[in-house]
Amino acid sequence: MKHVLLILALALLAVGGARAADAPSLVVIVNPASGVEKLTRDEVIDIFLGRYRKLPSGRVAMPIDVTEEGADRARFYQLLVKKSPAEMSSYWARLVFSGTSSPPFQVPDSKTALDLVQSNPNAIAYVDRAAVTSKVKVVLEITP
Amino acid sequence: MRAALPRSIVARTSLSILVLAVVMGLLFSITASWRVRAVEHDRLMARVDELASTVESTASIACFLNDGTLAKEIATGLLKNRIVAGVQITSGEKLLFGTGQVIEAGARENSKIDKLTRPVFSPFQKSTPVGAITIYVSHTEIEAQAAAYSRYIIWILVLQVSIVAAAVALLVYLLVTRPIKGISDELHRLEVASGMQIALRGRRRTDEIGQLVGDVNSLISRLTDVLEKEHDLRVAQEISERRMRLVFEKADTGILVLDERGAVQSSNPAFARILGPRASEPGVLLADLLSPHGARIDKLIAESRASGQPRDADFDLIPSSGRGVTWVELSVNPLGNNLLQGLLTDITERKRVEASARELASRDMVTGLLNRRGLDAALANVLAAQGLKHPLAVLQIDLDRFKAVNDTFGHESGDRVLREVATVLERAVRRSDVVGRVGGDEFVVVLPGIDSLEKATDIAMAIIAGVSVPIAIGAGRRAEIGASIGIAFAEWPGESAASLLRRADAAMYEAKQSGRGRVCLARHPDAAA
Repeated sequence: MKHVLLILALALLAVGGARAADAPSLVVIVNPASGVEKLTRDEVIDIFLGRYRKLPSGRVAMPIDVTEEGADRARFYQLLVKKSPAEMSSYWARLVFSGTSSPPFQVPDSKTALDLVQSNPNAIAYVDRAAVTSKVKVVLEITP
Repeated sequence: MRAALPRSIVARTSLSILVLAVVMGLLFSITASWRVRAVEHDRLMARVDELASTVESTASIACFLNDGTLAKEIATGLLKNRIVAGVQITSGEKLLFGTGQVIEAGARENSKIDKLTRPVFSPFQKSTPVGAITIYVSHTEIEAQAAAYSRYIIWILVLQVSIVAAAVALLVYLLVTRPIKGISDELHRLEVASGMQIALRGRRRTDEIGQLVGDVNSLISRLTDVLEKEHDLRVAQEISERRMRLVFEKADTGILVLDERGAVQSSNPAFARILGPRASEPGVLLADLLSPHGARIDKLIAESRASGQPRDADFDLIPSSGRGVTWVELSVNPLGNNLLQGLLTDITERKRVEASARELASRDMVTGLLNRRGLDAALANVLAAQGLKHPLAVLQIDLDRFKAVNDTFGHESGDRVLREVATVLERAVRRSDVVGRVGGDEFVVVLPGIDSLEKATDIAMAIIAGVSVPIAIGAGRRAEIGASIGIAFAEWPGESAASLLRRADAAMYEAKQSGRGRVCLARHPDAAA
């Protein structure tokens, strides 16, 4: 019985590993001038979900969401906090009238997000690992 | 108190059940309200818990974002529940919203404040606490809810108790009271000793009512038996009493009951017949009825009472209504309780027979005069009765030449002469004087009240004269006798009959010696020797 479970677990891991390898992995990027080298997963969650809008360096953080259809946004939130886009919409909708917090700044596509990060030391965004350039700094790799 | 209780079993049972139910209900209600409060408290706390669950996700967002507005929104929603007295939402150390501070302050004085505190976790990371929500529970609301619930329970109880009491009353009436009333009514109609019984009439024989009917019936039959026996006994007793009464009424013997004073309590007709009409007067003393013998009667009664034995004695009654001397025998017998029974028998006839028998013994067969014994007794009587002051003379008479008459003409002729002499003697003395023949030709006459020698001598001379008359003895023959007489006067005090007679005899002897047909006076006793 124990062996059976062990084998099953190993098999699942193998499948998961294969899928992770298949899917393009997402990374969180900032402007190199932001003074931030690394961010923890919690810090990323706090910034993107509106809890703290500050980088560890003390700089105001400007999270960027990509609204483009089929883009990385859904995958990002799914991986980060296990929420679907609908759940995220509901989350923000609840906060709209309290006015304390607001959703991340929205850009139409990953290209624009990348550009914004490259040009703005406050910006923080998520892009496909493959899209990373030398003008941005990867501070966290989002893994499932 | 007892009088205030209703008389009917139904009412009493119902009242008892009602009182019991009310007491039990009160006890139950008190326990219930106490329990209900605990239960209600738990229930409301569970509801608060649910409320907390309801707002949890929003609260976690508010705490996550330190969003006071959202927190206030949540609190406002919660406070719409009457049960919620206050809400406090904190994010880490920071107070996002709080109505609870006031309550916390109050809670320090009054520990009754209940609150529910729940940690709030990040909406995105379930393991990361981001704050806490505290809901304060309204105590007054708990009380109000509990009270309402208790009232509801009490209402149900009251209703149930009323229904049960009514049902019990009905059942008691149907199963106990009505059957008992029925039996009671039948008992009222029942004629004693008629053999009537109470009908079971649809009642079960085995239950208590049936047993009661059976018991009453057996009691009735026992009672009937007893009554019949009693009746028989009474009849027998009446017959016996009538017989006794007949004996009592018709007996010749007077039957009487004496009380401790010697008064006649009750008596039969014979008693009055013997003693006269006075005897039937109530409470008359027996001693008065037998008047001259009062002392003797009291003595008789005292003796009988002292010894516990019957005592009897004879009494002669004062002659009344010309019946002559009546003799009665009285026998007294202690009855107990200080009472005595007396039996009074008329023994006059017996006494008369006795007296004539005694007379026979004291009379001379030939002359009918007293014989020696009779004379002695009579003289003794006279001496005893006369007393000291009355004089007394005794004449001793001896016939002269009587032996010759006897020898010549025979005994029969002698007897005729003696009878003639007796007649002479009786004629010569008073009726109250005593005359006796004390020997073959010797006579004695006792003369009470004669004190002079002259009188005595006159009588003696008359006797000599009478006797000296020739006496016809039949066949033309005559006997000629004479008499010598000695006279003795009783010398007082205390001369005996014997001495008196001896002196008279001596005087008579003297008269005979000195030539017969004469009278001699006896010498004084002191000179006799």
